[in-house]
Amino acid sequence: MAATIPKHRALPDKENKLFRELLMQYEMKQYKKGIKAADTILKKFPNHGETLALKALTLHASLPEPLTVSAVPKKEESEAMARLAVKKDITSHITWHVLGILAKSRKDWDEASRAFAMARKQDSDNIPLIRDSISLFTHTRQYSAAVAARHHYLLLRPQIRASWLGLMIAHQLNGDLEEALEVYNGYLSTLQKDGATGPEKSQVLLHVIKICIEAGKDQEGLDKLRQGVRDGVISPRADDLTLPAQMLTNLGRQEEALQTYQELLEQNPDNLEYYRGYLKSKGIDMTGEITADSREKILETLSSFAETFPRSSAPKRLALDVAEGDKFAELARAYIVKGLERGVPSLFVDVKGVYSDSAKLNAVGEIVEEIVSKLEKEKSLNDDGSISPPTVLLWAYYYLALHLSHPLHPNPSHTRSLKLLDLALAHTPTLPELYMAKAMVLKRAGDALGAAYEMEKARLLDGQDRFLNGKAAKYWLRAGEITKAEELLAMFTKKDLTPVQDLTDLQCLWFLQEEGDAYKRNGNLAMALKRYQALAKVFQEYEDDQYDFHTYCMRRMTFSAYISLMRYEDQLRSHPGYFKGALSGIEIYLNVHDDPSITEEKLSAEDEAERKKAAKKAQKAEQKAKKAAAATGDKNDPVVPDEDPTGMKLLKTETPLDDALRLWKPLERLAGQRIETWLAGYEIYSRKKLYLAALRCLNNAHALSPHNADLHVQLLNFKRLTSDALSISGNGNEAQIKQVIDAQLPALLPSESLQQYNDSFLARGDVTPTSPEEIFAVARGKLEIEPKDIEGAVSVLSKLGDEGVPPSIEIMGKALKYIQRHVAGQDADGAVESLRSKFAGRSRLASVFKSAEEKQAYRERLEKVAAEENGVGEA
Amino acid sequence: MDIRQATIDDLLGMQNANLLNLPENYTFKYYLYHALTWPELSYVAVDPQGRVVGYILAKMEEEPSDEPSGHVTSISVLRPYRRLGLANKLMKQSQEAMVAHYNAAFITLHVRKSNRAAISLYRDTLGFEVHAMEKSYYADGEDAYGMRYVFKKPTPA
Repeated sequence: MAATIPKHRALPDKENKLFRELLMQYEMKQYKKGIKAADTILKKFPNHGETLALKALTLHASLPEPLTVSAVPKKEESEAMARLAVKKDITSHITWHVLGILAKSRKDWDEASRAFAMARKQDSDNIPLIRDSISLFTHTRQYSAAVAARHHYLLLRPQIRASWLGLMIAHQLNGDLEEALEVYNGYLSTLQKDGATGPEKSQVLLHVIKICIEAGKDQEGLDKLRQGVRDGVISPRADDLTLPAQMLTNLGRQEEALQTYQELLEQNPDNLEYYRGYLKSKGIDMTGEITADSREKILETLSSFAETFPRSSAPKRLALDVAEGDKFAELARAYIVKGLERGVPSLFVDVKGVYSDSAKLNAVGEIVEEIVSKLEKEKSLNDDGSISPPTVLLWAYYYLALHLSHPLHPNPSHTRSLKLLDLALAHTPTLPELYMAKAMVLKRAGDALGAAYEMEKARLLDGQDRFLNGKAAKYWLRAGEITKAEELLAMFTKKDLTPVQDLTDLQCLWFLQEEGDAYKRNGNLAMALKRYQALAKVFQEYEDDQYDFHTYCMRRMTFSAYISLMRYEDQLRSHPGYFKGALSGIEIYLNVHDDPSITEEKLSAEDEAERKKAAKKAQKAEQKAKKAAAATGDKNDPVVPDEDPTGMKLLKTETPLDDALRLWKPLERLAGQRIETWLAGYEIYSRKKLYLAALRCLNNAHALSPHNADLHVQLLNFKRLTSDALSISGNGNEAQIKQVIDAQLPALLPSESLQQYNDSFLARGDVTPTSPEEIFAVARGKLEIEPKDIEGAVSVLSKLGDEGVPPSIEIMGKALKYIQRHVAGQDADGAVESLRSKFAGRSRLASVFKSAEEKQAYRERLEKVAAEENGVGEA
Repeated sequence: MDIRQATIDDLLGMQNANLLNLPENYTFKYYLYHALTWPELSYVAVDPQGRVVGYILAKMEEEPSDEPSGHVTSISVLRPYRRLGLANKLMKQSQEAMVAHYNAAFITLHVRKSNRAAISLYRDTLGFEVHAMEKSYYADGEDAYGMRYVFKKPTPA
């Protein structure tokens, strides 16, 4: 149907010919010629929308990647031109299409999806437009719109396989499984021979079976699967075989299900899920509460599997989770002895999984002590008197050292751990694992610097090992030695980039988090924030990465994997990597809000020197980039430099709370099961004086864990902030807000005397012994109720250093900082000092409680020892 | 350690393990490309805390000259988790999947010429043989050995 061309769009023959050439030149990537042609048309018809659009598109396509300084204005010009083009010709599919393409290249998916929808209104049967629209609707989770577009596409292209299967997937994503299966049946009856390869057919059929399972049609799924195996489409292996196992269990066909799991275990006896599935089809659910009766049955089954699969540790390890009492001790001893004899370094991380049960922790401790003393006395673990190799004792020392310093240990002994490791080192001084263990013990004892020196020794024993290199770098970061850490990391990163740049490009989450933390501890909040924001940006990349796969997976027919991708992306930011970084960033924004003066630079001489060094480095890098650009012909046109190399622009934000909220929003949506989400939300909303939102956070936190220590303080804080309607200043509905608060707060915070409530938090019956978190919370509670009661707070805090309270260096450190902040300007130095010396006595190795002189002396000693050791090494 | 087929949820854990352990690294999208093209071929080893401590990232040759063949893009076990035979188990699972799903005739991999530990693992434990030498295969200019392992054909009945 040839619609009449509207007047403002029509061009005379000559220009019309140029316009068609312009299209061609764009396709052929002849951008210079294209722009010239566009300019010729625009000279005569400056308001011709479609020409403007194509010029914008061509200009945009000609930009260098990565963007250089001189290209920045061209980019802006192209974007402005694309917008102007739409204004000049609002009924053209070309102008909207170009606007959409440019938005897509900015990864502004929402705007792109709107623009493509507008373009389709003008030209509804345009295939490329529909394809892009489908991807954009799917990407932005507009599933019903995606179904409609897919449907339209199928009507236009019914002979293509992907049209049918794409519609099936669109229905599934839209939650309509019946419709999805319906489309699949339609596909079968329409396209008999579709030329798919074997693996492709198998992918399609397996996915359809998964849809059947999701729709509760296990029998139909099972029939399809059996047919598929008979036809040779499906190979009965691994995850493909878990499908029938799952369906048979659902259908209650126990015998067949057991047999299928048996087959699976023979394929892979190290898969825990297969054991769980086997037991489940026997009617025993391992994930719930286990009765004495079923415990015995589980252990029997596992022990027979352990005999069938002697090379797999899985059944033996699973048994440790299930067994109790003497049975546990018996199984654990055998497991541990075997691990020690094989010299498995990971034995401790493997077994410590059972430590959440304190009885098991104690039992394991006794077992290993017994092993150590038997080996020391008799040099043998066997009753027949045969000598055990000396490495068994070495690994037993190693295990015991890690055990005694574990945070869950009720009475940790870091000094004994270190002695044990020295005994092991006397035997084998060249085993990096022993130094790594020493480093870990010192870290747990609060001596970050000592720990870094030990990790460095491990690294020096095997300089080619990236794992040791990264560990050492991480430990230097923990000790605040950022430059040193980066120097080490550079040994394994690209030579033409800084290690920070390379590791950021490679999306190295641990590094961004740890270096951010290091900057934060060193007081450089700007750089810390820069790293945390880089972390958030990596997660944006992870989200954007899925875009290409909306079409790719339809082509490759990997539908199951694609559906998992979609579901994964929907909860991407509940990943601990994002979670931790976001909370760290939020904390800085809160600090900036509370005290904007911290954004003023107060650099120590050391930082100043480092800053100057960094500036010099940046200058050098710029010169290098210029040189490189010159070599490729682009003289003096370097890549657009980092606009905020020091992070100061980020830190000097005018809207810290809004910035914090931007990091928090994904947590609200995707990490609602973590109490930290709501605790952080409260801190933001209470500062924004949005008291109902703050109350909602308190409610959610309370529902997750009513006796959480931080929540306790927040409730008292909220009470203080909202004690009278006057303090709820805002938009005129203070009285109503106050009413809601008065109605809801009593469920969270008893209305008895607050003092009494706060004091009773420690004496509650449900927790023994008192945890450091709770002591710290009560002290803060005191100052929430009566800000002048420093004495009372200090006396509570001093309990943190009592015998019988687990010595948490982290909490003691926080407590000291907290009280220092509160006594600022008051005559209470004595009280703070007594607290510090008490904490120092309780954790003798921890550096945070040492004076600056003590720390300096320690540092010098470590440096000297290291230098001597290296000197000896070189001689 | 739990050994199972890798899912999309495991890819970030694999990326993390790779960055900790090896000098050859990839962005997330490359892991996606593997998982969304050959979802059956990559495996992970996971510790009781749910952390990926070992992985094999594998693919099929996109344009095979004659018979279909598999390729190991990357395999690695975190240093503290060695001596458990994990690499061996991961490799075995991936190989069986290549044969079962794609009818692979053989499997190839690249290894740094200087990486004697890895060469010995592939050759002595896993039965690979050096097939070719590739000059300056790695970004830093080091040569690679191309190694391959030919799958035994099931004897016809």
